[in-house]
Amino acid sequence: MAYSDKVLDHYNHPRNVGSLDKSSASVGTGMVGAPECGDVMKLQIRVNEENGIIEDAKFKTFGCGSAIASSSLATEWLKGKTVDEALQIKNTDIVNELSLPPVKIHCSVLAEDAIKAAISDYRTKQSSKVNTLAEQTVA
Amino acid sequence: MSAVCWNCGGGAPGAEASGRFCTACKALQPPATDYFEFFELPRQLVLDPKDLEKRFYALSRQLHPDLFSRKSSREQEYSLESAAVLNDAYRVLKDPIARALYVLKLEGFDTGEQTTKDVPPELLEEVFELNMALEELRMGDTDVLPQLEAARLRFENMRDETDAELQTKFGAWDASHERNILTEIRGLLNRRKYVTNLIDKASHVPDRV
Repeated sequence: MAYSDKVLDHYNHPRNVGSLDKSSASVGTGMVGAPECGDVMKLQIRVNEENGIIEDAKFKTFGCGSAIASSSLATEWLKGKTVDEALQIKNTDIVNELSLPPVKIHCSVLAEDAIKAAISDYRTKQSSKVNTLAEQTVA
Repeated sequence: MSAVCWNCGGGAPGAEASGRFCTACKALQPPATDYFEFFELPRQLVLDPKDLEKRFYALSRQLHPDLFSRKSSREQEYSLESAAVLNDAYRVLKDPIARALYVLKLEGFDTGEQTTKDVPPELLEEVFELNMALEELRMGDTDVLPQLEAARLRFENMRDETDAELQTKFGAWDASHERNILTEIRGLLNRRKYVTNLIDKASHVPDRV
């Protein structure tokens, strides 16, 4: 199967590979996988807690070229967006940008799931922080 | 499968077409599409491979298209269809993993494309860590073969453990037909899929870094 030039570019020069401090309250981690093809994808965001803007995004994906390209592209798009804006990223945007063929659409779904999981993790951490603060105030 | 014989219409007393051949006119009936039904077995996850093989050979002899060369064109057609179903059914049922996936499908589980929701998070974490370790091994320019070999053995152990767990769950489902056991089985099959994938990766000597 022929990959598009954009997929090959991201595959050969993946952007933002790496990891962020998982334990930090400003970092959200999304870990998703597709058992069918054995792919696993980790995507992390670091959010500025003052203004809700995503300052950094990292990923590490074990999987096919399309899965790597989808998550690489996702991290590029995430940076500079607010968390709410990031939630608007749809897998179809990734499909269009990378010209993914139908058999590889699940890779873009995986990337969208990873974004959502990372944001949800970030929000859980933030709300538990607020709760802890509230408890401390009450005490 | 129709309960009425296509040939005699079940007109004769005691005529019944629920089996392979009409009980009255002996005409070959269209093959059952359910593989268990085809082998005249209950829907079950634990099968005796010897018994299955015996049934396979017996049916092969019974349904061979050569035996129907003098019969009606409709029976010839059914014998061809039956021979094809026989081979597919045997291939699926003799392999415990393929059999389990088949039962999941029959029971209405989606075994095709699955997403994270169906995978326990700790498994994803584990698979991710294993992949990381494997990649580090592969990056090492000096002799990584012994390490890869060790990793492969570890993954094979994980697969064997999963298989043992599956075996237990298979028996449990056969005894109770409880749906939540099938959900657990699907989880284990996902885990197995990941692990076999890792075994493949660890089994191939890296040819490029």
